[in-house]
Amino acid sequence: MDILTIGIILVVLILVIVLLVFLSYYNKIIRLENRIDNSWAQIDVQLKRRADLIPNLMETVKGYMKHEKEVLENVTKARSAIMSAKTPQKNIEADNMLTGALKSLFAVAENYPDLKANQNFLNLQDELTHTEDKIAYSRQHYNDSVLSFNNTIETFPGIIFAKRMGKKEQEMLQIPEAARELPKVKF
Amino acid sequence: MAKQMLLEDHIRKNKRNTVLICTFMALLFLGVIFAFGYIYFRNPYIALIFGLPIALVYIAITYSFSVQTVLSAAKARPSNPHVREEKLLIYKVEEMAIAAGLPTPKVYVQDSDNINAFATGKKPENSVICATTGALRKLKPDELEGVMGHEMSHIQNHDILIATVTLAVVGSIALISEILFYSLFWGGAGRGRKNEGNAILLVIAILLVILAPIFSRLTYLAISRKREYLADANGARLTRNPEGLAKALEKIKNDIPRGKPKGSKTVAPLYIANPFKRQNINSIWSTHPPVDERIRRLRSM
Repeated sequence: MDILTIGIILVVLILVIVLLVFLSYYNKIIRLENRIDNSWAQIDVQLKRRADLIPNLMETVKGYMKHEKEVLENVTKARSAIMSAKTPQKNIEADNMLTGALKSLFAVAENYPDLKANQNFLNLQDELTHTEDKIAYSRQHYNDSVLSFNNTIETFPGIIFAKRMGKKEQEMLQIPEAARELPKVKF
Repeated sequence: MAKQMLLEDHIRKNKRNTVLICTFMALLFLGVIFAFGYIYFRNPYIALIFGLPIALVYIAITYSFSVQTVLSAAKARPSNPHVREEKLLIYKVEEMAIAAGLPTPKVYVQDSDNINAFATGKKPENSVICATTGALRKLKPDELEGVMGHEMSHIQNHDILIATVTLAVVGSIALISEILFYSLFWGGAGRGRKNEGNAILLVIAILLVILAPIFSRLTYLAISRKREYLADANGARLTRNPEGLAKALEKIKNDIPRGKPKGSKTVAPLYIANPFKRQNINSIWSTHPPVDERIRRLRSM
């Protein structure tokens, strides 16, 4: 074999390796981006689900809590804020409001033994707590997904391909420190 | 943020260790097959033609029956959402699945007073998580959440796959060595005597065949312990609350097991804590790392 043949083989080999790396990074970046979209959808599903549970809760509670008008109104207000929220950040603010309103509702419920014995109420309480936790975890997963996407497109060699693909850093959801603590409704 | 990076480092280190140990196991496996060929035919390559397919079929069969085997050995039943404790378990599993970004596993329950839980399944899409009724009764919500995070990590890390495949490799190494050992004993290495080969090589081959089953078993246990640490770290990343799992492990440690543990010893590595042994012993023969060390690592995260 002469030097020319060896040279050609080497060049072809290097081209193939570069192509393979490019393909795997292209796929990885697309996959991570889809994961972000997907986890956003998951948050949305959970928020809707929680909003759907509220009318049921109000129906159950109404008969017992005649003197807690303010507490009940806050919950209803927060719910309609969620329904009308247009941006992710608005959505989260409304959801935090609802979390707070529900928290005080459940706290007040402690004073109504009849209500606390109501099976329907207990089930709703469990399910609302569960959806709250799910919302917290789906936000966490959203941020995890954004983090791994950002890490991939900002470090070498991902950064080279990301530029070519026109991918930009995505923003994490701002979750207030307290929100992580709030969802734990005591029973 | 600094906290999170530390967890990521834990996870990366554990993954690297697993790869190293698995490579060692694969080398051991090939070594035994070569030794087999050398002792029998004075030609290590012949054994590859016979040994490798047999071993691979054995591994495939063990693997494909793994889920049913585990569930029936544990006498686990599907969870009942009408019982509040079991409903809350289903909720926790759903939450952890969301945190991990995985499909929700099926939830099973094992009627037993001991606190324990395990995960099984070949891939995340059809996995199963099972908890004992003892765990549901004795663990607080955040502790149960820690345990479920640990199990979800086993699923996410494909540990069940690693456990069943490595166990099958251990089994086939033992099988090959046994066949060789008996035939050497009774048949005196057949054709081997006709042409005296390299005596040193022969001794090495025989030694390898004798020691490989022990080494493969130890390797398997080392993998199992590494995966436990990994699942602890990863589980803590899912719950963002290492303390929950730490408290659960403390409870498991102080809980006095009643009655005979159900389930087969083969699947002991899948449980959160070995159901067959008291936990505090630190030995190269344990399936799980010592509980105190696990708690210490969780609390330092």
